[in-house]
Amino acid sequence: MKHNTVSAIINLVEPWESLEPLTTERPVGTLPFGGRYRLIDFPLSSIANAGIRNVMITSPRSGRSVSDHLRSGNDWNLDTIRGGLFNFPYNDLSLVSPEKRDNLIHHYYDNTILFLKRSNSEYSVIMGTRNICNIDLSALLRYHQERDNPVTTVYKSIEADDIEPDTTVLQVTDNGMATAIVPASNTNVSPTDNGKLAKSLNIYLMSTVDLIDILKEANMRGDLISLERLMLQAVIQHNANAFEYTGFYANIHDIKSYYDASMSVLSEDNFRALFYSQRRIYTKVKNEIPTFFAKSSQVKGSLCGTGGYIEGKIDHSVIFRNVFINRNTEIADSVIMQGTRIGAGTTIENAVIDKNVVIGPNLKLKGTPDNPLVIGKGKRIFRQTEVTND
Amino acid sequence: MNENDEMLAIILAGGQGSRLGKLTKSTAKPAIPFGGRYRIIDFTLSNCANSGIDTVGVITQYQPLELNAHIGNGSSWGLDDQNGGVTVLQPFSSTEGEKFFEGTAHAIYQNIEYIDQQNPEYLLVLSGDHIYKMDYRKMLEYHKAKKASLTVGVIPVTTEEAKRFGMMNTDETDRIIEFEEKPEHPKSNKASMGIYIFNWPTLRNYLTTSFSTNKKLEDFGKNVIPMYLANNESTYAYSFEGYWRDVGTIHSLWQANMEFLSPHNSLNIGDHNWRINSKAQVLPPMFLTNTSNVNNSMIVDSCYVSGEIDHSILSQRVSVGSGSKVVDSMIMPGATIGKNAVVDHALIGEEAVIGDDAVVKGTTDDIAVVGYGEVLGVKKS
Repeated sequence: MKHNTVSAIINLVEPWESLEPLTTERPVGTLPFGGRYRLIDFPLSSIANAGIRNVMITSPRSGRSVSDHLRSGNDWNLDTIRGGLFNFPYNDLSLVSPEKRDNLIHHYYDNTILFLKRSNSEYSVIMGTRNICNIDLSALLRYHQERDNPVTTVYKSIEADDIEPDTTVLQVTDNGMATAIVPASNTNVSPTDNGKLAKSLNIYLMSTVDLIDILKEANMRGDLISLERLMLQAVIQHNANAFEYTGFYANIHDIKSYYDASMSVLSEDNFRALFYSQRRIYTKVKNEIPTFFAKSSQVKGSLCGTGGYIEGKIDHSVIFRNVFINRNTEIADSVIMQGTRIGAGTTIENAVIDKNVVIGPNLKLKGTPDNPLVIGKGKRIFRQTEVTND
Repeated sequence: MNENDEMLAIILAGGQGSRLGKLTKSTAKPAIPFGGRYRIIDFTLSNCANSGIDTVGVITQYQPLELNAHIGNGSSWGLDDQNGGVTVLQPFSSTEGEKFFEGTAHAIYQNIEYIDQQNPEYLLVLSGDHIYKMDYRKMLEYHKAKKASLTVGVIPVTTEEAKRFGMMNTDETDRIIEFEEKPEHPKSNKASMGIYIFNWPTLRNYLTTSFSTNKKLEDFGKNVIPMYLANNESTYAYSFEGYWRDVGTIHSLWQANMEFLSPHNSLNIGDHNWRINSKAQVLPPMFLTNTSNVNNSMIVDSCYVSGEIDHSILSQRVSVGSGSKVVDSMIMPGATIGKNAVVDHALIGEEAVIGDDAVVKGTTDDIAVVGYGEVLGVKKS
């Protein structure tokens, strides 16, 4: 075992149903975000910035979009001689047929155990992707080493009034120890004196030996449960050190929260906090041409990717790579993902338009801030009657 | 080189480019930024990769650090082939002395060991300082069909322009019968593009013989081509019709950047079948604030725009403060323009700083230049 080394597991098996249609063909982790990123880029960059070289990715299904995005891992410095990126597809237990289930019992965690053993690392960190943050994992490791509990978990302090009832929070003791992670609606948690709750970021750090033990015990019991639930059990069983994260944070659990998070990056303070901290955010490198802003273009308060061609008016929106926006279009408070084309004279407001969509001319696409209009990946819309919220 | 490869490409990237003045004070001309997210050498490197040439030697000499960092292992162009890829060739010393070079042909001679290692049948010699897209495979087919010993890439120019180029006078079969350097009275419109395909054993023979005697073949234009013609080597001109620009002067560099801005530019940078690649950098998307006003312009990743941008190119990490106006200019990576400044008809070097209220104003005939890392804090007219 090499002293002070850490291996990482990014768990892409996350609740996706409320994010449909954006998650119909992709796990939450490859949801595009912030003009050129995918959600998985944030934990993966935190991992790369902490010098971690052993990374396991568990995908719910085939992981096509995951492998397409990550390739060799070179863009995150993970294309190394030792360690690197290890992909494990088909971890969504709801897909497992009853007879296969019988075969899996006692073997479900074998891959993870083998990965951890071979990593030869002293510690392991487990992260999801639906909590966007830019965390210093080296600081988390130091915090863990200075404390007694076998597990350390991470929270963001949030106004109790702002928290969604279905998100999870840490139940924290007076001396800063987490005894459980429970839904925010749970009556056992109450806000602190200044009205804050400890929102769980779903990040867990522990010694690799302990994690292997947890997995082995679950294996022996024949417990076919997700890694995430296993971690919740571990916190209850062992108690955890609670590490407070104070940087930019957004939680993605449904369409509205995705939309709100996208809009929040348009505030300059948030944009700088997330993308211009000392810890850079890496993503798959693309060779696009510069974005051309035509004479008629009018772009204000927006983020744009490269490769675009913009003739219309854009206000307070996130425009990804390779987007084509024709003249006399008006786009406000919206997210337009890569490869999408918007016809002349079309108006778009409070909408999320997925990748490679074609919207015809002179249409009106209008959602509301509370219920944004969503157009699914690859849709072709040429008539007003075809404009429906997917 | 791979077993089936016949041609090795050598890019001559060692020249100083002194006509670019301040801009090449600390970097080689092929490393100068172009078009917002490219460097000049990207066009030649991408042409090689797109032409299926997977072994490329880049000869450097003058201020090579930025160029070396840019080229890296060649993976940005797909030129990190197991059996070839990009090799940066820098002068070195040996028992025969130091291998610095004096001219283009001398540069090839000094790197003869590398070329021998690759053992190509044909040698493609390229300059690293032109903006164009060209399929070198077609030129090689032509070279073979003509059974040529040397083929020179040529481009049609006007009589006026011809006075600045090396001109090839040909017969009706396109065989070169005469070469004139910067002729007062041009006899043809075929200007040399500085692109040559040689039968390597023949050129090798000429070079080794010449450098072991006193007749030194230092330069392709001045020495080698005249020698080939004098010795009746079959030398042909290959006409190229597409967009091609020599960006060796401040004005031509500015002009080519302004042409690049036009969506109708025949260079067709957006063509996915002939991509121009560059060293990929992961940077956040561009941010246009509520006070920005961008027209007829190109902007790339990690730019921050609060001011007015009109008919200009902003490269990576450029920041333009509110109230500032950038017109008919090309801003190189990392430059910062403060508030209420004016930049008009200018080339702004990498990491330059233009302070609040500063004015950098050139004209079409006299483009203003701010050097790399230069700081302009006070008003200047």
